[in-house]
Amino acid sequence: MNNIDILKTVTSIIQETLELPQLVVTNETSANDVDEWDSMTHIQLIAAIEAKFKVRFALGELQTLKNVGDMIALITKKLNK
Amino acid sequence: MLFNSYAFIFAFLPIAILGYFTLNHLKQVTLGKIWLITASLYFYSYWNIKNLPLLLTSICVNYFIGQLLMAPEGKNKKLIFRLSLVFNIGLLCFFKYAGLMGFAKIALPLGISFFTLQQIGYLVDAYEGLTERKSFIDYAFFVSFFPQLISGPIVHYQHLMPQIEAKDNKQFNVDQFSLGIFLFSLGLIKKVLVSGTFSGWASPGFDEAVSLDLLAAWKTSLSYTFQLYFDFSGYTDMAIGLGHMFNVKLPQNFNSPFRSTSVIEFWTRWHMTLSQFINTYVFTPIVRAMPKINFRTTMIATFLAMFIAGVWHGAGINFVVYGALHGLALVVNHIRKKKKKKFSKAFAWFLTFNFINITYVIFRAKNLDDALKVLKGMIGLGGVVVPKIGIKSVGAFQDFGFKIGTYLYPDDYLLLAMLGGVFWVIFKTRNSGELEKSFKPDTKIALACGVAFVFCLFGMNKITEFIYFNF
Repeated sequence: MNNIDILKTVTSIIQETLELPQLVVTNETSANDVDEWDSMTHIQLIAAIEAKFKVRFALGELQTLKNVGDMIALITKKLNK
Repeated sequence: MLFNSYAFIFAFLPIAILGYFTLNHLKQVTLGKIWLITASLYFYSYWNIKNLPLLLTSICVNYFIGQLLMAPEGKNKKLIFRLSLVFNIGLLCFFKYAGLMGFAKIALPLGISFFTLQQIGYLVDAYEGLTERKSFIDYAFFVSFFPQLISGPIVHYQHLMPQIEAKDNKQFNVDQFSLGIFLFSLGLIKKVLVSGTFSGWASPGFDEAVSLDLLAAWKTSLSYTFQLYFDFSGYTDMAIGLGHMFNVKLPQNFNSPFRSTSVIEFWTRWHMTLSQFINTYVFTPIVRAMPKINFRTTMIATFLAMFIAGVWHGAGINFVVYGALHGLALVVNHIRKKKKKKFSKAFAWFLTFNFINITYVIFRAKNLDDALKVLKGMIGLGGVVVPKIGIKSVGAFQDFGFKIGTYLYPDDYLLLAMLGGVFWVIFKTRNSGELEKSFKPDTKIALACGVAFVFCLFGMNKITEFIYFNF
């Protein structure tokens, strides 16, 4: 799975979790840009991503995610492990 | 030793900086670290040397556990990890809640809430494979680094250590140093001039008055809210400034919290490193432990996490109420958000600010009776006294049962000016984090810093501790 595929999948998960089907998601998109993206939806997002990609994030990793690009980099790292 | 003391500013700090960079300049990197660890331990022991063994024990035990957790062939890691949590949380609870459990009340060892949290974060990260094995000296440096030892900002090992190791950071840097002085002066102004002045209005209302009339109650509560904010954010500015003097960028801890238009937003702007810690290491594990992750279970976790954050401050019933109220407010806030219900921005701000102000009354009061006294006053149950100024038909006021007080004193005008000034600063000026990013030293800033600094030095003759040293 390459980064573009991952971005596509992550985008649809974000749109679904935040209930914003029209939301445009790029690597630079972060929680600060989207009002609906708060600590509560974030954890649901993480859980959905973990289920979809069959990966598990460490707690300390969750705090380092600044934007979608970071998230994709982390997923890639986990998938290649 | 307090940041706002002569001994710190004129003796400790210059010696610590000079020694650290001289040793690094002489390529004695390890000695440089040992120098700063020693300085930090001295800084810590200055209050009460009796606390030092506890800090050292905590550092040694947690370092040892960390090594076990990171050992490639280690066994029983899960058990060791759990025991380490029991050790740290147990230690914290013992000192915080011993009074509750019927033991004689023990004085809280300084900084224990902060250095314990920071090390719990380290152990979780070590257990989950995010840290590398480092020397004991590096670990001791990470925990004891004096700018953040007592009251944060809470730092991650992975955030701090690469900055210490970076070659460029080993030599004295004039730009970083001037940024450090700038932020330190800013923090000193907040602490000494702003917070110190507000504390003079807050304390009598809470601790001495038997009852408070409407205006006196609002004066008391608003003064405390701003005393706390400028005390803690001032402390943080100083800590971040001191970090820069050692070429370390500590994380942001405040981001104009009183601009928030919701309680959710407030907790992303107030004491941010604690919120992030609670979110990462308390909220997330609670959610993951739930049988199912949905709106209802995340709401339960939100309430619990906020409640724990409240009680982390101490054993008093007021912290229980404070945590519970904020937990409830977050839940209500999330439900409204989910239903896409919104207040107008101005009303949302008004509601948020008042909620925070009212909950700080509970946070501050020594007991619930004192809190109720102030809260009753704020809704007029302690009577209404109208100052004499600008009242033509005095009789009309008295018909409503209002009392007519004295003329306003200069002190009252100062309060009004300070309140106006504070709101202006909150809404109209760039905050410390923004100033830190855009900082370019010039003569004007240097002059302003210098003047403010001298002012503060005169204000420092009565030494006052920082509020968060109690937690």
